[in-house]
Amino acid sequence: MTADRTRMVAIVAALAIAVVAPFVLPTYIVTLLSLVFIAALLASSIDLLAGQGGLLSIGHAGIAASAAYAIAWGTTESLALPIQLGLALLVTLVVSAVYALTTMRTRGIVFLMITLALGIVVYGLALKLSTITGGQNGLTGIDRPEFLANSSAFYLLTVAAFVLAVVFRAVLARSSFGLVLRGIRESESRMSSLGYSVTRAKFLAVMLSGLLAGLAGVLIVWQAEFISPNVASFNRSAMAVVMVILGGTGTLLGPLIGAGVVVGTEHWLSSYVERWPTLLGLVFIAVVLFAPGGVVGAFSRWRHGAVRDRQHAEPGTRAALPSLLEDQGLAGGVDGRPSEPQ
Amino acid sequence: MSLEFLALQVLNGLTFAALLFLVASGFTLVFGVMRIVNLAHGALYLLGGAIGISVAAVTGSWVLGVVAAGISVGLVGLFSERLLLHRVRGRELPEVLLTVGIALVIADLILAVFGGNPRSADPPPPLVGGTPVGPVTYPTYRLFVIGFAVAVGVILFVVQQRTRIGAVLRAGVDDREMVSAMGIDVDRVFAGMFLVGSVLAGTAGMIAAGLLTIRPGADTEILLFALVVVIVGGLGSIGGAALGSVLIGLIDAFSRVWLPELSYFAVFAPMAIILVLRPAGLFGKSTS
Repeated sequence: MTADRTRMVAIVAALAIAVVAPFVLPTYIVTLLSLVFIAALLASSIDLLAGQGGLLSIGHAGIAASAAYAIAWGTTESLALPIQLGLALLVTLVVSAVYALTTMRTRGIVFLMITLALGIVVYGLALKLSTITGGQNGLTGIDRPEFLANSSAFYLLTVAAFVLAVVFRAVLARSSFGLVLRGIRESESRMSSLGYSVTRAKFLAVMLSGLLAGLAGVLIVWQAEFISPNVASFNRSAMAVVMVILGGTGTLLGPLIGAGVVVGTEHWLSSYVERWPTLLGLVFIAVVLFAPGGVVGAFSRWRHGAVRDRQHAEPGTRAALPSLLEDQGLAGGVDGRPSEPQ
Repeated sequence: MSLEFLALQVLNGLTFAALLFLVASGFTLVFGVMRIVNLAHGALYLLGGAIGISVAAVTGSWVLGVVAAGISVGLVGLFSERLLLHRVRGRELPEVLLTVGIALVIADLILAVFGGNPRSADPPPPLVGGTPVGPVTYPTYRLFVIGFAVAVGVILFVVQQRTRIGAVLRAGVDDREMVSAMGIDVDRVFAGMFLVGSVLAGTAGMIAAGLLTIRPGADTEILLFALVVVIVGGLGSIGGAALGSVLIGLIDAFSRVWLPELSYFAVFAPMAIILVLRPAGLFGKSTS
């Protein structure tokens, strides 16, 4: 009980700090923090699949970009806000369905390769369909809705969106559907012989993840008030995956930590070190080699005082309930557990 | 639609197919033997182009540029395998993630050393100009690229089907454990395979410098095409890579003329159809 209470206090305190922040911090920092929360939202959408289903997507920027383009196009056509949002939702659902239909029979590296290819296809379409997307130059002057014009108000929206994603993923992890996904991650053949439709579960998981990515896309275009094919680029997708891995897969706050490190490096370190992508790449390589659980995984191991042998841990002995700053035992998609025999 | 137009587009398609084959064959060989999806393959291609162009500019020799591109990129690949990938052998996702990290570092260092301007290399004097092919006169360098890819394809095929090394590689694709149980040093086979894949990527980069421009972003573009080619052809199959390259090359050439706005989509459509009908690719072995 006390552990639960401490956790509640910590959550409330963190939320209070996040909400008060824009009123005390300089605008530059508030803008940077919005970027972190938006990036964390996109990373969360990837971690929903990676942490629960063991499916790592390197193409989610494509889904986010599709929603972002829908808003941008809607704004240039002066559509009403609800219609713009409806359009963004529709586009997100259609694009996610394409991702889901082409990947639902795959897993592991094939899943990764197809999402990667899809992401680059979205980038290509953004570049070539210039009548809608403005091509290489993109679309400019995409003003935020008036009530979000203030950077503090917009920042609070990004916090709310991220918190929504955390709650969504926590509920999913506790639900029977979450259990099915983890079962699929551990053994597809066992789940299908138990009578579960693996294909349908994967389809649904990609759709749910796509919704979060689409939400991130809406925030991305409102944040920048501009859009170009760059939003859909391989680098964006890869960076989001870097965030997930840095933070630790299968953790609720890992994406936020990963996003903080990456966005922080990009904006702060880039003024001191010109070659920050190299530095980030090296840090990423080091994390994959030496800390496969990411920052959160390392923190949790340090707190538990011993290095847990994750490779031999029985799936059933893991914590059943998700906690915030702890490896929920939901990780495993990317930490090197041997996959099913091919 | 005149005959000249048709011949020209077919030749354009085959030229691009030749380049795709050079890139995709290395990619698919590494996957077939090591089960590694090397997402740094595009970056290695870009590195080959960047180094090759500079060497050719300094020495004045295009051939030296190609050789330098192949050797230097091969060494980069070999070091990456020995120092990094070797440590996570057999764990699919960490392997892929490491190649993402390697790609980030290589692409950024290329930007640092060679700058961000698009560059290209002039073909050597004997390959400048045009050669009559049926109804059209076609650039000699492009015909050379087609011939070069066919030669590489034949060599790879003969090595794979007719030599002892090829037998080991084919056996490795089917059953890795059994190959190492037979007393074959799988470690050395893997290092060698990654070296060959990297040499192919680097060489392709310099060959491409005479057709396309070498610039930041070209790495992910060629990676997409390599991915589509091997997904269509089936992972790990040289024949599949050849067929996939020709198919994608021709689709790309014709869609650029007929559906310029949708050319990316036209390349992607056959991939989606094949994924639905034959998830293992045209030549792939079913994994289920």
